[in-house]
This record gives sequence, C-alpha cells and structure tokens, in this order.
Amino acid sequence: MIEIRFHGRGGQGAVIAAELLAQAAFLDGKMPQSFPFFGVERRGAPVTAYARIDDKPIGLRTSIVAPDVVVVLDPGLLATTRVTDGIKPGGLLLVNTHRGPESLAAPPGVRRAVVDATRIALSHGLGTTMMPIVNTAVLGALARATGAVSLEGLTRAVEQFVPARPQDNRFAARDGYLGVRIEAASEAASGAAAAAPAAPARPRVLPEGPVASLSSEAIDTAAWRTFTPVIHLDRCTKCNFCWKFCPDDAIEFDDVGFPKIRLDYCKGCGICAAECPPKTIEMVATEI
Amino acid sequence: MAKLTIPAQELMYPGHAACPGCGAALAMRLLLKGLGPRTILSIPACCWTVIATPYPTTALGVAVLDSAFEATGASISGLRAGADALGLKDVNIVGFAGDGGTADIGLQALSGMLERRTNAIYVMYDNEAYMNTGIQRSGATPWGAWTTTTPTVHGHPGKPELKKDMMGIVLAHRPAYAATLNPSFAEDFERKVERARDIVGPRFLHILAPCPPGWKFDSAQTIALGRLATDTGIFPLYEVVEGRLRVTRKTGSLKPVSEYLTAQGRFRHLKPEDIERIQVGVRATWEELLKREREDLSRAMTPSAPAPAEATLAAK
Repeated sequence: MIEIRFHGRGGQGAVIAAELLAQAAFLDGKMPQSFPFFGVERRGAPVTAYARIDDKPIGLRTSIVAPDVVVVLDPGLLATTRVTDGIKPGGLLLVNTHRGPESLAAPPGVRRAVVDATRIALSHGLGTTMMPIVNTAVLGALARATGAVSLEGLTRAVEQFVPARPQDNRFAARDGYLGVRIEAASEAASGAAAAAPAAPARPRVLPEGPVASLSSEAIDTAAWRTFTPVIHLDRCTKCNFCWKFCPDDAIEFDDVGFPKIRLDYCKGCGICAAECPPKTIEMVATEI
Repeated sequence: MAKLTIPAQELMYPGHAACPGCGAALAMRLLLKGLGPRTILSIPACCWTVIATPYPTTALGVAVLDSAFEATGASISGLRAGADALGLKDVNIVGFAGDGGTADIGLQALSGMLERRTNAIYVMYDNEAYMNTGIQRSGATPWGAWTTTTPTVHGHPGKPELKKDMMGIVLAHRPAYAATLNPSFAEDFERKVERARDIVGPRFLHILAPCPPGWKFDSAQTIALGRLATDTGIFPLYEVVEGRLRVTRKTGSLKPVSEYLTAQGRFRHLKPEDIERIQVGVRATWEELLKREREDLSRAMTPSAPAPAEATLAAK
C-alpha cells in the first residue's frame, strides 16, 4: 500500500487532486481511497487531503500520519506548515516550485522531487496568477516520480472527472509528467537533504474547554498569503484608507502614524493596495 | 496620525477564518466599532459561525450566542427579556444573520421579533447566497446570478426569480429604524450603526457583503465593487426613521449597471438584453425611492400631519 498526503490551499485543488489520483488508480485496476481533512476550507487557507492505493481492498479509514509520499501544491506552505511530519524513511517529497530539488529541506533518506506546476498551469490557462490551478500538473509529476498510477490512467481520469477544460488539464498532466525533476536515491540516502531545518513548530498552547476564551490573535493566518503588501512610506499620506477597509484588522499604526502591516495576520487580499489613493502599496509575490 | 473618520476601537480580532477580501468580515468589524463592547450578538448558522470561532479561540470581543438557523429573531427577543430581567439597561442586543438565515430560513422569527417590537437590532449581512455551504441560491440572490443551484449551462438562465425585497418586508412591520449599509462607505455605515444603537425599539440593518469566491471577483476589488453596487443604484443607501425615508447617498446620475455586473463572474453569461432588463428595474426602484423620500419630507413639513403610529409605540 502507498499512502500519499497532499498539502495545498483552499481553492487550489488539493482535495480534487487526491480524488483524481484515486480515480486514476481505480482505472489502472487498483483499490484506492481518498478523502480530505475536514477543516476550515476557506480560499487560501492551508488544506490537507489524503489518498491510499493498494492492490487489494483497504480496510484502514484513518487519516495519514506516516505517508510514503508528501505532495505540496504551494511552496509557500513550506515556511509555515510542517509538511514532512511523519514521512517514512525512503519516502518522497514532491513540491511545486521553480527551484531545484536541492533547495528543499527534508529529513535524511527522503527523496526530493520538484515540478514547476505553476508555470505549466499558467501556460495552459488554468487559473490565474494569484490562484493557479496546479493539481493536474502536480499529478502528472507524481505519476512519474512514484509510479503509483500510470499516465494513461491519469489522462483517462482527467477526461472523465474534470468538469472544466479537460483538454488543457490533460496537457498539464503530461507536461508535469515530463517536467518533474527527481533527485537520485543515492543523494537522498547520504543525508544531504537535511541541510536546512524544517519549519519550526509554532509553540501553541491553546486552552481547551467548553467556552472559547482565547482571542483568535493566537492563530496566525500568514500561511494564507500568496502576495504580500509592501507600503512605500515616502509617498504615504496617512489617510488611513488601508486601515479602514482591512477585513482582517491586519493594519496598525507606528509611533508617528504610518500604517504597518501585521504580517502574522495579513491574508494578502490586496484591498489596501487597490484602495490606497496615492497607490503607495504594492502587492509583492511572496518569495519562497 | 491623521484624524480617523471611524471609531478606533477594534472588537473583531485578526486570525479569524474569513476568506481573503471578505465583505462580511469587514461588515462585522465596522459594526462592532460603532456598537462598542456592551453588545451581545446572536449568530445563527452562517459564514460568521465559522469565521468567528476557530476552536478554542474567538474573533469577537463581545458575548456571542450561537443560535439555531431559523431562530435569530426569537433569540434576540429572549436575550432582551433576559437582559431586562437582570436589569441590564446599557447592552445592545444584536442578531447577526446572513441572507439565507434572514430572507429564507429565519423569516418568521424576524417577523415575530419586529411584531413584538423587541428592543433589539437585527442585522442581515447580505452576500446574496448560501456562501458558507458553497454558493447555493437564497431568496436574496439577484435575478440572473449564477450559483451552484442556479446553473448557467445548457440554456439555464441563472436565478430565474427576483431578489426578495427584505427592506420592503421589514418596513411593512413599521420598525423604529431600518437602513441599508455598505462597508465601502464606512463613514455612512458608522453613522447608521450609531444611530441605530441610540434608538429604542426594533431596528433592522441590511448590510451588503461582497463575496469574492461566491460572486467570482478578485479579492482586492471588494471595496471598489461595493462602491459600484451603490453608485449604479443596485444597492441604494437609505434609512427610514420612524417611517420617514431618506436617501443617504446621491450622486447626481447613476452609473450604468453593466459596470457592476460585468465585474463579476456570476453575471458573465448575461446577454445585453438581460442587462437592459436589470437596468430598467434598477431605475424604477431608484425613482420610487426618491418619490417616497419627497412624499415623506413634504408630510413632515405639514404641521397638521399626524405622527406615524409606530413612533409612539416604538418608545415602549
């Protein structure tokens, strides 16, 4: 049995990815299952989904805590989510990024693979720059990197189950299959992969009880952000429009009254940049 | 620091679970700024149930009663009775429900609360569909709009029915105060919240809450789109105090509705004749509003005019 865990954001297609993978495995004659982790599936929020594939029926119904494969649809999650938690030795980490596999932090013995699924998705017109739909390109890469499903099975699953633009999605899956870069097993085994530490766990001791007694400020929503507002203070007139219209109360003022983004909470909606009268706020793609 | 045009106090905390660019989140933030900390909210099933309480935290600096979908109106009648029994005189009792929980599922409870003349504020934040469950049409979804239950493929026209006139339904109950509010006009919004806060009797606030995923527009455009909703006449801003209507934003001439409609994916399928049909309806509603405003004004100017019955009752 192979166990695969997907990390993505609401709206990006992680849940559909797990489902499509299972459909593809089924068309290959395997016995798959897939299901999402039920959390707050808001647009941009971190989302987890699972898939299992075996040659015989699977009795297990639990979420996956020790995956063979971890798939990350959004590289921004690497900085905020412990994606490789529980990954098995000899497992595989597949990330959507334009960088090389050596840029990824992974536990020793875990092989790293990358695919530039964002570029592939946009080249086929899937989604927008703010929110590219990368799942089919990532699944193509996964098919090649793991052999868990065949490209034929994946192609048929896309044709049967993707309601919008099946042809573009089929091409994206093929380009992902061809474009995936996998590090050799020998490099992974050497432990070179452990060079950079994984994202630290945010120490979070939240009291449990029948009444919610803690401010939601204990929860940081920075991981939702794909674009970050940068204020060019030299042109700021302190009009406060950015503060007034922020739906996340993520703007405060410094000692002299200039606005300041509370980066732990900003979800990157872009309202402040759009509403700033002198256009001093710029939305910058979050560099990974 | 430049002078703030709306209250500085923050009673909605960040870290909440609303989508980026959420109009309903901004509506709550602005509402609590105007109401202050002595407020008890009753929230039924809606987006805000999920937004407010990522367990074990709360994004709201006021007390919250998690009420049943159909019961917001009844629950605030009960909360007010409880506050009275405890001798709490300075609390705002506020129901905060979505359009589904107001125009459809909670309509009888709202009507009952208005009929009982409960001294409370009922807020409908209107994102024009059941957004929390994934964009199903509600009674407040506008004509022609796409939702998952009013498809636009295979010749389906989007929502075939007109948007329910909630202000009309509420005004037929003669509330002490009723107003339409739009977060894009934050100062007008705060003035109305503060006005509602200081009036005794049943009060109703209809807040427009643009929804980027449900209406299909870029989250950065929430404020700009809200502004267009009012300046095209789709969502006119007005208030009715003791039966007297006043339009609170007039811009000389309305912008064409096409500017508002074409900015949203949910209206992308509309044909020019559909847009013209909407334009005709919007113009007629706008003229009606202005006519009623003129009539109310001239009646108020006539010394012999009897005071509307609800004005005296509302003081109770």
